[in-house]
Amino acid sequence: MEYTTAVQIRNAIENKKVTAIEVLEHYLDIIAQKDKEIGAFLEVFEDDARAQAKKIDEMVASGESLPRMAGVPIAVKDNILVKGHIASAGSKILENHVATYDATAVANLKEAGAVIIGRTNMDEFAMGSSTETSFWQVTKNPVDTTKVPGGSSGGSVAAVAAGMVPVALGSSTGGSIQQPASLCGVYGMKPTYGFVSRYGLIALGSSLDQIGAITNDAKDMALVLEVIEGIDEHDATSVDIPEVVTHELLQDNFEGMTFGVPKEYFVDEMDADVKKLVEEAIEKIKSAGGTIKEVSLPLTEYALPAYYIIQPAEASSNLGRFDGMRYGTRAQSDKLKESYLMSRGGGFGKEVKRRIMIGTYVLSAGYYDAYYKKALQIRQMISKDFERVFEEVDVLVGPTSPVVAWGLGDKFDDPIAMYLADIFTVSVNIAGISSISVPCGLAKGLPVGLQFLAGAGQDGKILRAAAAFEALTK
Amino acid sequence: MPNIEFDIDHVAKLAMLDINDEERAMFAEQLPSILAYVGKLAEVDTEGVDSSAYISDLQDVMRKDEEVRSSNELRASLIKSFPKESGGALEVPAVFE
Repeated sequence: MEYTTAVQIRNAIENKKVTAIEVLEHYLDIIAQKDKEIGAFLEVFEDDARAQAKKIDEMVASGESLPRMAGVPIAVKDNILVKGHIASAGSKILENHVATYDATAVANLKEAGAVIIGRTNMDEFAMGSSTETSFWQVTKNPVDTTKVPGGSSGGSVAAVAAGMVPVALGSSTGGSIQQPASLCGVYGMKPTYGFVSRYGLIALGSSLDQIGAITNDAKDMALVLEVIEGIDEHDATSVDIPEVVTHELLQDNFEGMTFGVPKEYFVDEMDADVKKLVEEAIEKIKSAGGTIKEVSLPLTEYALPAYYIIQPAEASSNLGRFDGMRYGTRAQSDKLKESYLMSRGGGFGKEVKRRIMIGTYVLSAGYYDAYYKKALQIRQMISKDFERVFEEVDVLVGPTSPVVAWGLGDKFDDPIAMYLADIFTVSVNIAGISSISVPCGLAKGLPVGLQFLAGAGQDGKILRAAAAFEALTK
Repeated sequence: MPNIEFDIDHVAKLAMLDINDEERAMFAEQLPSILAYVGKLAEVDTEGVDSSAYISDLQDVMRKDEEVRSSNELRASLIKSFPKESGGALEVPAVFE
């Protein structure tokens, strides 16, 4: 099939060059061929997807005007609810948890005619940077199947990177969309906090979590965001952002744009080949008319430690609801406390327990001020730093990840080494701003991502930067 | 923060987590080093800095205190997801002994 992006697919269906069923069957075939090796999907909703695609074809036949994503197959991360289907968040404790409603983002996609094709693998409760903490399976990087795809949205990203689906939904709490997108060579965006409703997203860190998308180009990214964004009465933290570029309005030039290069984003521990590619990309932006300015975000090195206090703290609280009482798996005991302990002890994996323990500790009496309160204060300072820098520049540009995809299992037993993979993306969630990772070449045969960051509500700017960079490198 | 005391069993109790011997040994090694790493924050002077949990300009959102009826379908699907059900109600182990 010659149509590979959501925009192309929808238009081809509208112009009767292809039917929605043909599109769907094409992708189902690719999934059948490739996913045994990649392991991106936890479940493929073949019957439901066929029913949705059939409806689109009926609309075409009756001459109705088609919605914005008519017939576009989309995969959904396993922590985003799709009514009537299991949503396990990659965890054993939710192995039988069937969603009783659609997440708002999913409802919006369905409304726009998108075809929900299945749910994808992820790190358990999105805690991880390699998708290896999933209770269910390991997902491999489609570019090199001996490597991790990154995480935690590794299944969604691998599905797009392998061509098994043109678009996928992911979630980011500390870089879980952008970092795997970088490692697999696709587009991944975390919008401004509140831009997309989190209703129906299984919570990890509520002050950090955001739904976003994975696509093959900038135009598709803008299209998906147009569909899923917006204020929602079911999510009190959702916000209305008026000035976002729509996919038809994306420009392919850097005219009038100033890019800040944070000097702290080029650290010693960085892979030299990654550094070189990112520097070359910045040179290209400069040659194409973008203004480049060195800036400083002095607290960058404290973002990751602050994140690994705030996020476990919020997670330890959010995951309190998984006690085996109202839903999920309950351990058999007629003693209440024993049932709690056994349900949680048996239902959660090691990384989840590790973070619940850290989170419980930093919130406990005697340690709250030294850890949690301190981290919140540093968070405010980091946010102010970004505000200051965004008065001088439109967009920040730097690496998405300090390294390329590493070998399966390589960092699994070293939590701190794993956490360091998120060093350039956690700040985005800490400050509630937006960022997108775009492919900028290969190092050692593996993809490298370039990250554009913009201030809260300025998501249109990074979409435009991504579109312009894409035009430059195609 | 040089001396990191981490009483694994106490924290596990607070967190309502059953942990096995293997996990206890692993956490005893890993958790103090994670805390030492995040303890790096002590280097930053935060005197007088606000400690709100949110960073955006979010306003409180109010809704009317109205009764909203769930559909029978939703009710049925929620009951179906209970780990244990008895006559349309959620069955739990005895809370008081």
